[in-house]
Amino acid sequence: MRPTRSDHSAAFLRSFAVQGSWNYRTMIGGGVAYALWPLLARIHAGDPVALRAALERHASAFNAHPYLSSLAVGALARVEHEEHEPETIRRFRTALRGPLGAIGDQAVWAGWRPFCLLTAILAFCLGLDARVAALGFLLLYNSGHLSLRAWGYRRGWREGLNVGGVLARSPLKQFAQRLVPVNQALMGAAVTLLLVRLPVEASAPETIGSALLLAFGAYFLPARGAVLAMSLLFGACLAWLL
Amino acid sequence: MAGLDLNPGLWVGIVLLGALVGLDGISWSQLMISRPIVAGTLGGLLFGDPGAGFLSGALLEIVSARHPPYGAARYPETGPAGLIAGAAYASVGSAGLLPLITVTLAGWAIGWTGSHSIQLQRALNGHLVGDPTAFGGDARMLTRRHRLAMRLDAVRAAFITAVFVVPTMVAANFAASFAPPTHARLSGALAAAGIAGLAGAGARVLGGRPRGWSAFAGGALAGAALGVLLT
Repeated sequence: MRPTRSDHSAAFLRSFAVQGSWNYRTMIGGGVAYALWPLLARIHAGDPVALRAALERHASAFNAHPYLSSLAVGALARVEHEEHEPETIRRFRTALRGPLGAIGDQAVWAGWRPFCLLTAILAFCLGLDARVAALGFLLLYNSGHLSLRAWGYRRGWREGLNVGGVLARSPLKQFAQRLVPVNQALMGAAVTLLLVRLPVEASAPETIGSALLLAFGAYFLPARGAVLAMSLLFGACLAWLL
Repeated sequence: MAGLDLNPGLWVGIVLLGALVGLDGISWSQLMISRPIVAGTLGGLLFGDPGAGFLSGALLEIVSARHPPYGAARYPETGPAGLIAGAAYASVGSAGLLPLITVTLAGWAIGWTGSHSIQLQRALNGHLVGDPTAFGGDARMLTRRHRLAMRLDAVRAAFITAVFVVPTMVAANFAASFAPPTHARLSGALAAAGIAGLAGAGARVLGGRPRGWSAFAGGALAGAALGVLLT
């Protein structure tokens, strides 16, 4: 049977909890099966054997970026609805894992989220009220986040097995690449203005200038730079106390 | 030491907020109320100083920027950490550099403690839902166990918050009790260098290639120009 609108709504809402039982054996497999359940129950209504097999299939190992898991839920429901062979569905699940993780990580965790965070920090440093800056961050970030989830679910359900083409054509990758230099610039501006906002002992111009020199050093040697930077923070406390 | 006036009602409020931001981090929704700038502002609001909460949250963002949650990577749990740091810094009335660096370092340590507790929770989740054949096709059992895992995550985050909020506030108060020393500028220079260094390392990890340094430098120069104009 074809899922109803309320089945789709229930599955979409459940996809927000797709990482609820993240574990090292099946990762978000349990969460995907949990989100898919309203759809599977409708699609395989009257066929308990097929329903049981589908539940087991979708509770097995799977991973994806949480926001793009809605695309996986939509697409997997579609291929179940179209009654593809179980082996085809298994292979399709496996093929989805890599791209959904990689694209989501680049576009959201490395692109959209830092962009929104740094914009909010910049706005706060420029004098915006903290509550407005935090709320503005949530509104800006979630406008993209919720749109991505809704787009993913719709496209997944519409395209089914062809969803790989949707991912290949989607502007997410280019979007992420274009945000990289923007985020670099925002990070530079935000940290400089944040240093200006620090209590007076740390905000002298020569202090900020020499601190930025270390920032460039850490940029080229991030691992060692980060260790040195953390040591300096501890050193700042010790120097104050001694 | 006014900040230690943490009445039971306020403590319960912080713990409940800790559970909420902990859930948001991974298990449910990821609306990013678990980011330190939001959680810190919420913590600051509880003590009447959201600006202090945001500032400590912003520093915690910089400190944790080089640990993005790619794939199954380990990264600090910033929700309860940001909330506690924001509440602790606001509780001392944003009194100077030492309390600010103290709550930032405490938040960093709490974040990694939270991260370790998440690893334990994930191992437990493996026993709850890790065997797809264990449900025998019973979706109700899967639903129960999935929701139980989420409830356990909320309890875990609440526990982290409950355990660390008082010691962090005590540490912030202790730090606030020190008057600036004669060499306060040395401390300031070390702190500023540490924060800037972590921002540089974070920018690189967030996708910057070696040649991306020009954008970072341009941003820093623009920020410096704006800073001069503003002051």
